Amino acid sequence: MNLTLLRTMTTASLRDRISLFYATLFPLGLFAGLGYYIDTPGYAPRLMVGTIALGTLFWSMAGQSFQVLQQRNRGVYKLLRVAPLASLNFIWWMILARTVLGVAMNGLIVLAGALLFGIRVTAAGLGCGLLLLIAGSLSFTALGFFVANLAKNEAQVNMISNLLYIPMVFGSEAFYSLDKVPSWLAAAGRAFPFQYLVDGLQRTLVHGETLPAVPLLMLVLFTAAGLLLAAATFRWDEHQPVIGVKG
Amino acid sequence: MQTLVAARNLRKTYRGRAVVDGVDLELRRGETVAVIGPNGAGKSTTLDLILGLKKADAGTVRFWRDDPLGRIGVQLQQTPFFPGLSALENLKLFASFYRVRLTDARARELLDTCGLLDAAGTEASRLSGGQQKRLAIAASLVHDPELVFLDEPTAALDPKARREIRMLIGKLAKAGTTVVFTSHDMEEVHRLADRVILIVKGRIAADGTPDALCAAHGVDGLEELYVKLTDETNGEVRS
Repeated sequence: MNLTLLRTMTTASLRDRISLFYATLFPLGLFAGLGYYIDTPGYAPRLMVGTIALGTLFWSMAGQSFQVLQQRNRGVYKLLRVAPLASLNFIWWMILARTVLGVAMNGLIVLAGALLFGIRVTAAGLGCGLLLLIAGSLSFTALGFFVANLAKNEAQVNMISNLLYIPMVFGSEAFYSLDKVPSWLAAAGRAFPFQYLVDGLQRTLVHGETLPAVPLLMLVLFTAAGLLLAAATFRWDEHQPVIGVKG
Repeated sequence: MQTLVAARNLRKTYRGRAVVDGVDLELRRGETVAVIGPNGAGKSTTLDLILGLKKADAGTVRFWRDDPLGRIGVQLQQTPFFPGLSALENLKLFASFYRVRLTDARARELLDTCGLLDAAGTEASRLSGGQQKRLAIAASLVHDPELVFLDEPTAALDPKARREIRMLIGKLAKAGTTVVFTSHDMEEVHRLADRVILIVKGRIAADGTPDALCAAHGVDGLEELYVKLTDETNGEVRS
């Protein structure tokens, strides 16, 4: 049964063309285009990490938000409540399918980095990067659930997501150094998991460090906090108000 | 006949208004029961309370077995399906909710029963409203349930689609499945239901076979009965 769940959820995610575009083609295009345009030594590896982090953010957070919203508004969760399968079981397989695909897509970016810009990543770096990616994906997925729980429709998902993306991306070292940005923006970036994923991936994929403790720990903590938020606000159907939020 | 569900004194209040106000009802094996009543009368809420989709303020619901969920099929007013998946893939996914491995052959048989065989490979979101409704009904049958709840299965459908769904309900009843459905179409109710439960203002205003109810109230048909009882209960509801 679980294999059916994993297979069908993977298929459904792969056929979500908009999320696929933002998680694969858009980051690949961004990476290739900016990599060739900004021909500064050492920039391509930073760009690769930024692109991986951005693709993961779009795929895990935005993709998950829209998927959850669609399923809830279509009554899928209501139906789950009257079926023997535990909802958490279903949600787990949905998240797993999305995480596995997200990691595979990021493999394409690492491959593009090697082929287009000659970026070499050590095996240890790849392994540790993978661990960070999984932790990052899970933390964004939990945030994606939270966003979907707050929103009533697609427009609200977009608005709430953008409120989170802006401080996350601009307050991170994904594409530039934070040395010259206002301190409040850097502080805002540290309040979200994105910067910790970028930091961790730079250390592992670019500098070959093994298991950077702080980024990994922060991602785990953000995942736990995100899951708590998602669980506290989870709605079975669209008419159910968000707990603690009048809707 | 074996009692599958016995609900006693169900009550649900929203913002001080009693939406379900002391409902007692029994569902027995092999029956086809129509739950009718005006919009907002409490039909869907009563079904939601029985199924546990909403928490009752008071009352009890007893099922014929300790683990009834795996033996109950539910079609909601919404038409749940997973975007990106075909009708066949959706059925297989819904079957996994009931821990059932649906073979291709069984899934196609089910789609055929629901008049959807030609649409097996079509993405569910591309199906017409009637087809999506039939897919929702097919999804409620993936585990061969003993009891099926269909919430307005023919609402907002064209006459052909309505006819097909009525035939499907007839087939289920003939196969011995207990069917509970809500409807606003009295002709449909008369044709399909062994028993009718009329809910008005959150209370059961009438419960019996269509013919017995019409005879008891001196009316020619269910529509007349419906109008008479809902008019009468403008003031007070009969119990």
